Amino acid sequence: MVVGGIYSLVALSFAIIYKTIRFFHFAHGSVIVAGAYIAYSLSCFVGIPLLLSIVVSSLITTVLGIVIYKTTYSYLRVIGSSNLILAITSFGIFIFIQNLFQILYGAQILSLKTGPVSEGHLIMGGTITNVQISIIVISCLLLVLIRSVVVETRIGKAIRAVADDPLGASISGINPERIIIYSFGIGSALAGLSGGLISLESSIEPTMGLNLILKGIIASIIGGLGSIPGAVLGGFFLGIVENLGIWKIQAGWKDTISFAVLIAFLLFRPEGILGKRTDRENL
Amino acid sequence: MAYLLHILIIAGIYIILTLSLNLIIGYTGLPALGHIAFACIGAYSSGILALNFGISPWIGLIVGACAASFFGFVIAFPSIRLKGDYLALATFGFGVIVYSISKNWIDLTRGPMGLPGIPKFSFFSYELQPVWAYLIFVLVFIVFTTFIINRVVDSPFGRVLRSIREDEVASLSIGKNVNRYKITVFVIGAFFAGIAGSLYAHYITFIDPSSFTVMESIAVLLMVVFGGMGSIKGSFVGALTLVILPEMLRFLGMPSSVAAPLRQMIYGGLLVLLMLKRPQGIIGDYRFR
Repeated sequence: MVVGGIYSLVALSFAIIYKTIRFFHFAHGSVIVAGAYIAYSLSCFVGIPLLLSIVVSSLITTVLGIVIYKTTYSYLRVIGSSNLILAITSFGIFIFIQNLFQILYGAQILSLKTGPVSEGHLIMGGTITNVQISIIVISCLLLVLIRSVVVETRIGKAIRAVADDPLGASISGINPERIIIYSFGIGSALAGLSGGLISLESSIEPTMGLNLILKGIIASIIGGLGSIPGAVLGGFFLGIVENLGIWKIQAGWKDTISFAVLIAFLLFRPEGILGKRTDRENL
Repeated sequence: MAYLLHILIIAGIYIILTLSLNLIIGYTGLPALGHIAFACIGAYSSGILALNFGISPWIGLIVGACAASFFGFVIAFPSIRLKGDYLALATFGFGVIVYSISKNWIDLTRGPMGLPGIPKFSFFSYELQPVWAYLIFVLVFIVFTTFIINRVVDSPFGRVLRSIREDEVASLSIGKNVNRYKITVFVIGAFFAGIAGSLYAHYITFIDPSSFTVMESIAVLLMVVFGGMGSIKGSFVGALTLVILPEMLRFLGMPSSVAAPLRQMIYGGLLVLLMLKRPQGIIGDYRFR
Protein backbone atom coordinates (compact mmCIF):
# COMPACT_ATOMS: atom_id res chain seq x y z
CA MET A 1 0.00 0.00 0.00
CA VAL A 2 2.76 2.44 0.89
CA VAL A 3 4.72 1.58 -2.22
CA GLY A 4 1.46 1.92 -4.11
CA GLY A 5 0.96 5.37 -2.59
CA ILE A 6 4.36 6.53 -3.81
CA TYR A 7 3.86 4.98 -7.24
CA SER A 8 0.48 6.69 -7.55
CA LEU A 9 1.96 10.05 -6.65
CA VAL A 10 4.69 9.62 -9.25
CA ALA A 11 2.19 8.35 -11.80
CA LEU A 12 -0.14 11.23 -11.02
CA SER A 13 2.56 13.84 -11.54
CA PHE A 14 3.66 12.08 -14.72
CA ALA A 15 0.10 11.82 -16.04
CA ILE A 16 -0.56 15.54 -15.66
CA ILE A 17 2.42 16.35 -17.82
CA TYR A 18 1.74 13.54 -20.26
CA LYS A 19 -1.82 14.79 -20.69
CA THR A 20 -0.69 17.92 -22.46
CA ILE A 21 2.57 16.96 -24.17
CA ARG A 22 1.94 13.34 -25.12
CA PHE A 23 5.46 11.97 -24.90
CA PHE A 24 7.42 10.10 -22.27
CA HIS A 25 9.04 12.68 -20.06
CA PHE A 26 11.78 10.48 -18.60
CA ALA A 27 13.56 13.46 -17.08
CA HIS A 28 10.69 13.55 -14.63
CA GLY A 29 12.52 10.84 -12.72
CA SER A 30 15.43 13.16 -12.12
CA VAL A 31 13.06 15.90 -11.02
CA ILE A 32 11.83 13.52 -8.32
CA VAL A 33 15.42 12.77 -7.31
CA ALA A 34 16.09 16.50 -7.17
CA GLY A 35 13.06 16.92 -4.92
CA ALA A 36 14.28 14.22 -2.56
CA TYR A 37 17.83 15.58 -2.37
CA ILE A 38 16.82 19.20 -1.95
CA ALA A 39 14.43 18.27 0.84
CA TYR A 40 17.18 16.22 2.42
CA SER A 41 19.80 18.95 2.29
CA LEU A 42 17.41 21.66 3.43
CA SER A 43 16.43 19.77 6.53
CA CYS A 44 19.83 18.28 7.33
CA PHE A 45 22.27 21.03 6.41
CA VAL A 46 20.19 24.20 6.65
CA GLY A 47 18.03 23.00 9.50
CA ILE A 48 14.60 23.99 8.24
CA PRO A 49 11.70 21.98 9.71
CA LEU A 50 10.97 18.87 7.74
CA LEU A 51 7.55 19.69 6.31
CA LEU A 52 8.61 23.18 5.31
CA SER A 53 11.68 21.84 3.54
CA ILE A 54 9.53 19.45 1.53
CA VAL A 55 7.31 22.34 0.47
CA VAL A 56 10.31 24.48 -0.46
CA SER A 57 11.87 21.65 -2.42
CA SER A 58 8.67 21.13 -4.36
CA LEU A 59 8.73 24.83 -5.25
CA ILE A 60 12.29 24.44 -6.50
CA THR A 61 11.41 21.39 -8.59
CA THR A 62 8.51 23.34 -10.10
CA VAL A 63 11.06 25.78 -11.44
CA LEU A 64 13.32 22.91 -12.53
CA GLY A 65 10.50 21.27 -14.49
CA ILE A 66 9.64 24.48 -16.27
CA VAL A 67 13.29 25.17 -17.04
CA ILE A 68 13.63 21.71 -18.59
CA TYR A 69 10.61 22.39 -20.76
CA LYS A 70 11.69 25.86 -21.79
CA THR A 71 15.29 24.99 -22.66
CA THR A 72 14.74 21.86 -24.71
CA TYR A 73 11.26 20.55 -25.40
CA SER A 74 9.86 23.90 -26.35
CA TYR A 75 12.47 24.31 -29.08
CA LEU A 76 12.08 20.73 -30.30
CA ARG A 77 8.33 21.12 -30.55
CA VAL A 78 8.75 24.25 -32.63
CA ILE A 79 10.94 22.47 -35.18
CA GLY A 80 8.44 19.62 -35.23
CA SER A 81 10.37 16.69 -33.80
CA SER A 82 8.65 13.37 -33.24
CA ASN A 83 7.73 11.98 -29.84
CA LEU A 84 10.63 9.62 -30.12
CA ILE A 85 13.19 12.42 -30.42
CA LEU A 86 11.57 14.15 -27.48
CA ALA A 87 11.70 10.97 -25.40
CA ILE A 88 15.37 10.37 -26.26
CA THR A 89 16.22 13.97 -25.41
CA SER A 90 14.37 13.56 -22.19
CA PHE A 91 16.43 10.49 -21.42
CA GLY A 92 19.57 12.51 -22.03
CA ILE A 93 18.44 15.17 -19.58
CA PHE A 94 17.60 12.44 -17.12
CA ILE A 95 21.08 10.91 -17.30
CA PHE A 96 22.66 14.34 -17.03
CA ILE A 97 20.81 15.42 -13.89
CA GLN A 98 21.05 12.04 -12.20
CA ASN A 99 24.82 11.97 -12.55
CA LEU A 100 25.08 15.57 -11.47
CA PHE A 101 23.51 14.53 -8.18
CA GLN A 102 25.77 11.54 -8.01
CA ILE A 103 28.81 13.80 -8.25
CA LEU A 104 27.41 16.31 -5.76
CA TYR A 105 26.23 13.87 -3.12
CA GLY A 106 28.15 10.69 -3.86
CA ALA A 107 26.59 7.38 -4.79
CA GLN A 108 25.92 6.25 -1.24
CA ILE A 109 22.47 5.89 0.22
CA LEU A 110 21.23 8.72 2.40
CA SER A 111 18.36 8.51 4.82
CA LEU A 112 16.12 11.00 6.56
CA LYS A 113 14.65 8.63 9.07
CA THR A 114 12.53 10.25 11.75
CA GLY A 115 11.96 8.38 14.96
CA PRO A 116 12.50 4.71 15.62
CA VAL A 117 11.08 2.26 13.11
CA SER A 118 9.35 0.15 15.75
CA GLU A 119 6.93 2.96 16.52
CA GLY A 120 3.76 2.20 14.60
CA HIS A 121 0.26 0.86 14.68
CA LEU A 122 -0.92 -2.66 14.16
CA ILE A 123 -3.50 -2.90 11.42
CA MET A 124 -4.72 -6.23 10.12
CA GLY A 125 -1.66 -8.05 11.37
CA GLY A 126 0.85 -5.70 9.80
CA THR A 127 2.75 -2.81 11.31
CA ILE A 128 2.32 0.57 9.73
CA THR A 129 4.22 3.66 10.81
CA ASN A 130 2.92 7.21 11.06
CA VAL A 131 4.99 8.24 8.07
CA GLN A 132 3.49 5.48 5.97
CA ILE A 133 -0.03 6.46 7.00
CA SER A 134 0.67 10.05 6.10
CA ILE A 135 2.02 9.02 2.69
CA ILE A 136 -1.19 7.18 1.91
CA VAL A 137 -3.33 10.01 3.26
CA ILE A 138 -1.34 12.67 1.40
CA SER A 139 -1.54 10.83 -1.89
CA CYS A 140 -5.29 10.40 -1.54
CA LEU A 141 -5.71 14.06 -0.60
CA LEU A 142 -3.59 15.17 -3.55
CA LEU A 143 -5.61 12.99 -5.86
CA VAL A 144 -8.81 14.73 -4.75
CA LEU A 145 -7.15 18.14 -4.95
CA ILE A 146 -5.67 17.60 -8.41
CA ARG A 147 -8.88 16.11 -9.64
CA SER A 148 -10.85 19.14 -8.51
CA VAL A 149 -8.25 21.46 -10.04
CA VAL A 150 -8.46 19.66 -13.35
CA VAL A 151 -12.23 19.34 -13.37
CA GLU A 152 -13.35 22.64 -11.89
CA THR A 153 -10.87 25.46 -12.37
CA ARG A 154 -10.23 27.44 -15.54
CA ILE A 155 -6.67 26.19 -15.77
CA GLY A 156 -7.89 22.64 -15.47
CA LYS A 157 -10.39 23.23 -18.22
CA ALA A 158 -7.69 24.69 -20.41
CA ILE A 159 -5.39 21.74 -19.67
CA ARG A 160 -8.08 19.34 -20.79
CA ALA A 161 -8.76 21.43 -23.87
CA VAL A 162 -5.09 21.38 -24.86
CA ALA A 163 -4.95 17.66 -24.16
CA ASP A 164 -7.88 17.02 -26.48
CA ASP A 165 -6.95 19.32 -29.30
CA PRO A 166 -4.14 21.89 -29.11
CA LEU A 167 -5.17 23.61 -32.32
CA GLY A 168 -8.81 23.90 -31.29
CA ALA A 169 -7.74 25.22 -27.91
CA SER A 170 -5.57 27.90 -29.42
CA ILE A 171 -8.43 28.98 -31.69
CA SER A 172 -10.64 29.55 -28.69
CA GLY A 173 -8.09 31.84 -27.11
CA ILE A 174 -6.04 29.48 -24.99
CA ASN A 175 -2.29 29.70 -25.32
CA PRO A 176 -1.14 26.05 -25.45
CA GLU A 177 2.44 26.98 -24.56
CA ARG A 178 1.27 28.58 -21.32
CA ILE A 179 -0.95 25.66 -20.45
CA ILE A 180 1.87 23.21 -21.06
CA ILE A 181 4.06 25.26 -18.74
CA TYR A 182 1.32 25.17 -16.10
CA SER A 183 1.05 21.43 -16.40
CA PHE A 184 4.83 21.09 -16.15
CA GLY A 185 4.71 23.29 -13.07
CA ILE A 186 1.97 21.28 -11.36
CA GLY A 187 3.51 17.97 -12.33
CA SER A 188 6.99 18.93 -11.18
CA ALA A 189 5.68 20.33 -7.89
CA LEU A 190 4.03 16.98 -7.27
CA ALA A 191 7.25 15.25 -8.24
CA GLY A 192 9.14 17.31 -5.69
CA LEU A 193 6.56 16.41 -3.05
CA SER A 194 6.79 12.74 -3.78
CA GLY A 195 10.58 13.00 -3.70
CA GLY A 196 10.36 14.56 -0.26
CA LEU A 197 8.00 11.86 0.96
CA ILE A 198 10.29 9.15 -0.35
CA SER A 199 13.17 10.63 1.59
CA LEU A 200 10.99 10.36 4.72
CA GLU A 201 9.84 6.82 4.15
CA SER A 202 12.91 5.12 2.78
CA SER A 203 16.48 5.92 1.92
CA ILE A 204 17.43 7.95 -1.14
CA GLU A 205 20.14 7.43 -3.73
CA PRO A 206 20.85 9.20 -7.02
CA THR A 207 20.02 6.17 -9.15
CA MET A 208 16.53 5.69 -7.75
CA GLY A 209 15.05 8.08 -10.33
CA LEU A 210 15.00 5.62 -13.21
CA ASN A 211 13.17 3.01 -11.21
CA LEU A 212 10.64 5.56 -9.97
CA ILE A 213 9.86 7.12 -13.31
CA LEU A 214 9.59 3.72 -14.98
CA LYS A 215 7.17 2.57 -12.31
CA GLY A 216 5.29 5.83 -12.73
CA ILE A 217 5.04 5.32 -16.49
CA ILE A 218 4.02 1.69 -16.06
CA ALA A 219 1.40 2.67 -13.50
CA SER A 220 -0.08 5.31 -15.74
CA ILE A 221 -0.14 2.95 -18.73
CA ILE A 222 -1.87 0.31 -16.62
CA GLY A 223 -4.40 2.85 -15.42
CA GLY A 224 -4.91 4.43 -18.80
CA LEU A 225 -2.54 7.06 -20.16
CA GLY A 226 -3.50 10.63 -19.44
CA SER A 227 -6.26 9.61 -17.09
CA ILE A 228 -5.72 11.05 -13.63
CA PRO A 229 -7.78 8.61 -11.54
CA GLY A 230 -6.29 5.91 -13.77
CA ALA A 231 -2.77 6.89 -12.78
CA VAL A 232 -3.58 6.60 -9.10
CA LEU A 233 -5.39 3.31 -9.55
CA GLY A 234 -2.51 1.98 -11.64
CA GLY A 235 -0.03 3.05 -8.97
CA PHE A 236 -1.80 1.15 -6.22
CA PHE A 237 -2.39 -1.81 -8.53
CA LEU A 238 1.30 -1.98 -9.45
CA GLY A 239 2.39 -1.59 -5.83
CA ILE A 240 0.13 -4.43 -4.73
CA VAL A 241 1.01 -6.77 -7.61
CA GLU A 242 4.71 -6.19 -7.06
CA ASN A 243 4.54 -6.90 -3.37
CA LEU A 244 2.32 -9.93 -3.80
CA GLY A 245 4.86 -11.12 -6.34
CA ILE A 246 7.91 -10.73 -4.14
CA TRP A 247 6.02 -12.27 -1.26
CA LYS A 248 5.48 -15.36 -3.40
CA ILE A 249 8.84 -15.41 -5.20
CA GLN A 250 11.87 -13.30 -4.24
CA ALA A 251 12.61 -9.62 -3.76
CA GLY A 252 15.01 -9.49 -6.70
CA TRP A 253 12.29 -10.26 -9.21
CA LYS A 254 10.35 -7.07 -8.46
CA ASP A 255 11.29 -5.25 -11.67
CA THR A 256 10.73 -8.35 -13.77
CA ILE A 257 7.20 -8.58 -12.41
CA SER A 258 6.34 -4.97 -13.10
CA PHE A 259 7.76 -5.02 -16.62
CA ALA A 260 5.99 -8.28 -17.35
CA VAL A 261 2.78 -6.59 -16.23
CA LEU A 262 3.60 -3.66 -18.50
CA ILE A 263 4.25 -5.82 -21.55
CA ALA A 264 1.08 -7.81 -20.87
CA PHE A 265 -0.92 -4.58 -20.72
CA LEU A 266 0.72 -3.14 -23.84
CA LEU A 267 -0.16 -6.28 -25.74
CA PHE A 268 -3.64 -7.04 -24.52
CA ARG A 269 -5.11 -3.84 -23.20
CA PRO A 270 -2.95 -0.91 -24.35
CA GLU A 271 -5.62 1.59 -23.38
CA GLY A 272 -5.29 0.62 -19.71
CA ILE A 273 -7.88 -0.20 -17.08
CA LEU A 274 -9.79 3.05 -17.26
CA GLY A 275 -9.03 4.00 -20.84
CA LYS A 276 -11.61 3.89 -23.55
CA ARG A 277 -11.26 1.44 -26.38
CA THR A 278 -11.27 4.27 -28.89
CA ASP A 279 -8.00 5.55 -27.44
CA ARG A 280 -6.29 2.65 -29.14
CA GLU A 281 -6.16 4.59 -32.37
CA ASN A 282 -3.56 6.90 -30.90
CA LEU A 283 -1.19 4.22 -29.71
CA MET B 1 50.42 -0.29 -25.53
CA ALA B 2 48.43 -3.21 -24.23
CA TYR B 3 46.04 -0.70 -22.72
CA LEU B 4 45.56 1.00 -26.07
CA LEU B 5 44.91 -2.34 -27.76
CA HIS B 6 42.45 -3.22 -25.02
CA ILE B 7 40.51 0.01 -25.66
CA LEU B 8 40.50 -0.77 -29.38
CA ILE B 9 39.10 -4.25 -28.76
CA ILE B 10 36.33 -2.85 -26.58
CA ALA B 11 35.63 -0.22 -29.23
CA GLY B 12 35.54 -2.99 -31.84
CA ILE B 13 32.96 -4.92 -29.87
CA TYR B 14 30.92 -1.75 -29.56
CA ILE B 15 31.20 -1.23 -33.32
CA ILE B 16 29.52 -4.59 -33.88
CA LEU B 17 26.79 -3.66 -31.39
CA THR B 18 26.32 -0.24 -32.95
CA LEU B 19 26.13 -1.64 -36.48
CA SER B 20 23.49 -4.14 -35.47
CA LEU B 21 21.43 -1.54 -33.62
CA ASN B 22 21.80 0.83 -36.56
CA LEU B 23 20.15 -1.76 -38.76
CA ILE B 24 17.13 -1.79 -36.46
CA ILE B 25 16.86 1.84 -35.48
CA GLY B 26 18.65 3.69 -38.24
CA TYR B 27 17.63 1.78 -41.34
CA THR B 28 14.22 0.53 -40.31
CA GLY B 29 13.28 3.28 -37.87
CA LEU B 30 12.27 0.97 -35.02
CA PRO B 31 13.18 2.44 -31.65
CA ALA B 32 14.74 -0.44 -29.74
CA LEU B 33 16.05 0.48 -26.32
CA GLY B 34 16.98 -2.96 -25.03
CA HIS B 35 19.75 -3.86 -27.40
CA ILE B 36 22.33 -4.79 -24.79
CA ALA B 37 19.96 -7.55 -23.63
CA PHE B 38 20.83 -9.50 -26.79
CA ALA B 39 24.53 -9.12 -26.05
CA CYS B 40 23.77 -10.30 -22.52
CA ILE B 41 22.05 -13.42 -23.84
CA GLY B 42 24.92 -14.10 -26.23
CA ALA B 43 27.55 -13.62 -23.53
CA TYR B 44 25.81 -15.74 -20.95
CA SER B 45 24.88 -18.58 -23.26
CA SER B 46 28.38 -19.02 -24.62
CA GLY B 47 29.92 -18.44 -21.19
CA ILE B 48 27.71 -21.02 -19.51
CA LEU B 49 28.22 -23.54 -22.29
CA ALA B 50 31.98 -23.21 -22.03
CA LEU B 51 32.10 -23.35 -18.24
CA ASN B 52 29.50 -25.99 -17.43
CA PHE B 53 29.74 -28.24 -20.45
CA GLY B 54 33.26 -27.56 -21.68
CA ILE B 55 32.00 -26.67 -25.12
CA SER B 56 34.45 -24.83 -27.35
CA PRO B 57 33.99 -21.04 -27.59
CA TRP B 58 33.47 -21.40 -31.34
CA ILE B 59 30.30 -23.40 -30.92
CA GLY B 60 29.39 -21.17 -27.98
CA LEU B 61 29.65 -18.13 -30.21
CA ILE B 62 27.25 -19.60 -32.74
CA VAL B 63 24.87 -20.89 -30.10
CA GLY B 64 24.98 -17.52 -28.32
CA ALA B 65 24.20 -15.62 -31.50
CA CYS B 66 21.37 -18.00 -32.34
CA ALA B 67 19.97 -17.75 -28.82
CA ALA B 68 20.07 -13.98 -29.06
CA SER B 69 18.27 -13.97 -32.39
CA PHE B 70 15.72 -16.41 -31.03
CA PHE B 71 14.99 -13.94 -28.23
CA GLY B 72 14.97 -11.18 -30.83
CA PHE B 73 12.12 -13.06 -32.44
CA VAL B 74 10.41 -13.65 -29.10
CA ILE B 75 10.40 -9.95 -28.24
CA ALA B 76 9.72 -8.71 -31.77
CA PHE B 77 6.86 -11.03 -32.62
CA PRO B 78 4.34 -9.69 -30.11
CA SER B 79 5.54 -6.13 -29.70
CA ILE B 80 6.15 -5.16 -33.31
CA ARG B 81 2.63 -3.83 -33.76
CA LEU B 82 3.21 -1.20 -31.08
CA LYS B 83 4.09 2.18 -32.47
CA GLY B 84 6.90 4.61 -31.75
CA ASP B 85 7.57 5.23 -28.12
CA TYR B 86 5.42 2.30 -27.00
CA LEU B 87 7.73 -0.05 -28.84
CA ALA B 88 10.63 1.78 -27.22
CA LEU B 89 9.08 1.16 -23.82
CA ALA B 90 8.38 -2.51 -24.51
CA THR B 91 11.94 -3.16 -25.67
CA PHE B 92 13.21 -1.20 -22.70
CA GLY B 93 11.14 -3.48 -20.50
CA PHE B 94 12.67 -6.49 -22.23
CA GLY B 95 16.11 -5.08 -21.44
CA VAL B 96 15.25 -4.71 -17.78
CA ILE B 97 13.77 -8.21 -17.62
CA VAL B 98 16.85 -9.84 -19.15
CA TYR B 99 19.10 -7.87 -16.81
CA SER B 100 17.16 -8.91 -13.77
CA ILE B 101 17.06 -12.55 -14.89
CA SER B 102 20.85 -12.53 -15.23
CA LYS B 103 21.04 -11.05 -11.76
CA ASN B 104 18.49 -13.22 -10.00
CA TRP B 105 18.63 -16.65 -11.56
CA ILE B 106 21.50 -17.60 -9.27
CA ASP B 107 21.53 -21.31 -10.20
CA LEU B 108 22.28 -20.58 -13.81
CA THR B 109 24.14 -17.28 -13.89
CA ARG B 110 25.56 -17.05 -10.37
CA GLY B 111 23.80 -13.69 -10.14
CA PRO B 112 25.86 -10.63 -9.14
CA MET B 113 28.93 -12.82 -8.50
CA GLY B 114 29.28 -13.28 -12.23
CA LEU B 115 30.91 -16.06 -14.21
CA PRO B 116 34.70 -16.05 -13.83
CA GLY B 117 37.22 -18.07 -15.82
CA ILE B 118 35.55 -18.23 -19.21
CA PRO B 119 38.09 -19.75 -21.63
CA LYS B 120 39.52 -17.73 -24.49
CA PHE B 121 39.21 -18.58 -28.14
CA SER B 122 41.82 -20.88 -29.58
CA PHE B 123 42.92 -21.82 -33.09
CA PHE B 124 43.64 -25.55 -33.00
CA SER B 125 46.12 -25.56 -30.15
CA TYR B 126 47.10 -21.89 -30.22
CA GLU B 127 45.19 -19.91 -27.62
CA LEU B 128 44.44 -16.27 -28.43
CA GLN B 129 46.26 -15.04 -25.35
CA PRO B 130 48.06 -11.89 -26.55
CA VAL B 131 45.95 -8.78 -26.85
CA TRP B 132 47.01 -8.00 -30.43
CA ALA B 133 45.91 -11.43 -31.57
CA TYR B 134 42.49 -10.87 -30.13
CA LEU B 135 42.31 -7.46 -31.75
CA ILE B 136 42.87 -9.06 -35.16
CA PHE B 137 40.27 -11.65 -34.27
CA VAL B 138 37.72 -8.94 -33.40
CA LEU B 139 38.63 -7.09 -36.59
CA VAL B 140 37.72 -10.17 -38.60
CA PHE B 141 34.30 -10.13 -36.99
CA ILE B 142 33.89 -6.41 -37.64
CA VAL B 143 34.64 -6.96 -41.31
CA PHE B 144 32.21 -9.87 -41.37
CA THR B 145 29.46 -7.82 -39.69
CA THR B 146 30.03 -4.80 -41.89
CA PHE B 147 29.95 -6.98 -44.98
CA ILE B 148 26.68 -8.68 -44.03
CA ILE B 149 24.96 -5.48 -42.88
CA ASN B 150 26.13 -3.70 -45.99
CA ARG B 151 24.73 -6.49 -48.14
CA VAL B 152 21.46 -6.40 -46.21
CA VAL B 153 20.90 -2.67 -46.58
CA ASP B 154 21.99 -2.55 -50.20
CA SER B 155 19.67 -5.33 -51.28
CA PRO B 156 16.02 -4.99 -52.31
CA PHE B 157 15.31 -6.13 -48.77
CA GLY B 158 17.17 -3.06 -47.45
CA ARG B 159 15.21 -0.77 -49.73
CA VAL B 160 12.00 -2.11 -48.23
CA LEU B 161 13.43 -1.42 -44.77
CA ARG B 162 14.07 2.19 -45.67
CA SER B 163 10.63 2.52 -47.16
CA ILE B 164 9.18 1.27 -43.88
CA ARG B 165 11.20 3.92 -42.08
CA GLU B 166 9.99 6.68 -44.36
CA ASP B 167 6.36 5.69 -44.69
CA GLU B 168 4.96 2.54 -43.25
CA VAL B 169 1.52 2.86 -44.79
CA ALA B 170 2.97 3.38 -48.25
CA SER B 171 5.06 0.22 -47.96
CA LEU B 172 1.98 -1.66 -46.82
CA SER B 173 0.08 -0.37 -49.79
CA ILE B 174 2.58 -1.76 -52.28
CA GLY B 175 2.05 -5.17 -50.77
CA LYS B 176 4.99 -5.52 -48.43
CA ASN B 177 4.41 -7.52 -45.30
CA VAL B 178 5.77 -4.83 -43.01
CA ASN B 179 5.59 -6.83 -39.80
CA ARG B 180 7.55 -9.68 -41.29
CA TYR B 181 10.31 -7.34 -42.39
CA LYS B 182 10.45 -5.74 -38.97
CA ILE B 183 10.70 -9.09 -37.21
CA THR B 184 13.46 -10.23 -39.59
CA VAL B 185 15.41 -7.06 -38.86
CA PHE B 186 15.12 -7.67 -35.15
CA VAL B 187 16.36 -11.22 -35.59
CA ILE B 188 19.38 -10.13 -37.66
CA GLY B 189 20.23 -7.30 -35.28
CA ALA B 190 19.97 -9.60 -32.27
CA PHE B 191 22.19 -12.16 -33.99
CA PHE B 192 25.08 -9.72 -34.31
CA ALA B 193 24.52 -8.34 -30.84
CA GLY B 194 24.79 -11.91 -29.61
CA ILE B 195 28.12 -12.29 -31.41
CA ALA B 196 29.34 -9.07 -29.77
CA GLY B 197 28.28 -10.34 -26.36
CA SER B 198 30.02 -13.64 -26.86
CA LEU B 199 33.22 -11.94 -28.07
CA TYR B 200 33.12 -9.78 -24.96
CA ALA B 201 32.65 -12.77 -22.65
CA HIS B 202 35.57 -14.70 -24.12
CA TYR B 203 37.80 -11.64 -24.14
CA ILE B 204 37.26 -10.36 -20.59
CA THR B 205 36.83 -14.00 -19.40
CA PHE B 206 34.50 -12.73 -16.70
CA ILE B 207 30.92 -11.57 -17.07
CA ASP B 208 28.48 -10.23 -14.54
CA PRO B 209 25.10 -8.52 -14.88
CA SER B 210 26.55 -5.06 -14.31
CA SER B 211 27.99 -5.04 -17.84
CA PHE B 212 24.51 -5.32 -19.30
CA THR B 213 22.49 -2.59 -17.59
CA VAL B 214 19.92 -0.42 -19.27
CA MET B 215 22.44 2.41 -19.35
CA GLU B 216 24.60 0.35 -21.69
CA SER B 217 21.69 0.10 -24.11
CA ILE B 218 21.40 3.85 -24.00
CA ALA B 219 25.14 4.20 -24.60
CA VAL B 220 24.89 2.05 -27.73
CA LEU B 221 21.88 4.07 -28.85
CA LEU B 222 23.93 7.22 -28.36
CA MET B 223 26.70 5.75 -30.52
CA VAL B 224 24.21 5.13 -33.31
CA VAL B 225 22.71 8.60 -33.03
CA PHE B 226 26.09 10.28 -32.68
CA GLY B 227 27.60 8.68 -35.74
CA GLY B 228 24.50 8.94 -37.83
CA MET B 229 21.33 6.99 -38.23
CA GLY B 230 21.35 4.73 -41.21
CA SER B 231 25.05 5.11 -41.92
CA ILE B 232 27.61 2.35 -41.60
CA LYS B 233 30.53 4.75 -41.48
CA GLY B 234 28.64 6.65 -38.84
CA SER B 235 28.49 3.58 -36.62
CA PHE B 236 32.26 3.30 -36.76
CA VAL B 237 32.72 6.96 -35.94
CA GLY B 238 30.15 6.86 -33.15
CA ALA B 239 31.48 3.76 -31.42
CA LEU B 240 35.15 4.75 -31.71
CA THR B 241 34.62 8.30 -30.49
CA LEU B 242 32.37 7.43 -27.60
CA VAL B 243 34.55 4.61 -26.34
CA ILE B 244 37.87 6.43 -26.68
CA LEU B 245 36.77 9.91 -25.60
CA PRO B 246 35.68 8.97 -22.05
CA GLU B 247 38.96 7.09 -21.60
CA MET B 248 40.70 10.46 -21.82
CA LEU B 249 39.01 11.40 -18.55
CA ARG B 250 41.10 8.77 -16.89
CA PHE B 251 44.23 10.78 -17.59
CA LEU B 252 42.87 13.89 -15.96
CA GLY B 253 43.52 12.22 -12.64
CA MET B 254 39.99 12.26 -11.33
CA PRO B 255 38.87 9.82 -8.65
CA SER B 256 36.70 7.10 -10.10
CA SER B 257 33.74 8.15 -7.97
CA VAL B 258 33.66 11.36 -9.98
CA ALA B 259 34.89 10.06 -13.33
CA ALA B 260 32.19 7.42 -13.80
CA PRO B 261 29.22 9.73 -13.26
CA LEU B 262 30.99 12.43 -15.25
CA ARG B 263 31.25 10.05 -18.18
CA GLN B 264 27.52 9.37 -17.94
CA MET B 265 26.87 13.09 -17.61
CA ILE B 266 28.78 13.75 -20.81
CA TYR B 267 26.77 11.03 -22.54
CA GLY B 268 23.52 12.58 -21.36
CA GLY B 269 24.47 16.11 -22.28
CA LEU B 270 25.78 14.98 -25.66
CA LEU B 271 22.55 13.14 -26.40
CA VAL B 272 20.50 16.27 -25.66
CA LEU B 273 22.80 18.49 -27.72
CA LEU B 274 22.71 16.12 -30.68
CA MET B 275 18.95 15.90 -30.61
CA LEU B 276 18.67 19.67 -30.48
CA LYS B 277 21.29 20.60 -33.04
CA ARG B 278 22.10 17.68 -35.28
CA PRO B 279 19.61 14.81 -35.13
CA GLN B 280 21.17 13.22 -38.21
CA GLY B 281 24.46 12.63 -36.37
CA ILE B 282 28.00 13.52 -37.33
CA ILE B 283 28.08 12.02 -40.80
CA GLY B 284 24.60 10.63 -41.25
CA ASP B 285 22.47 11.84 -44.10
CA TYR B 286 19.12 10.65 -42.90
CA ARG B 287 17.43 13.30 -40.84
CA PHE B 288 15.74 11.48 -38.02
CA ARG B 289 12.53 13.16 -36.98
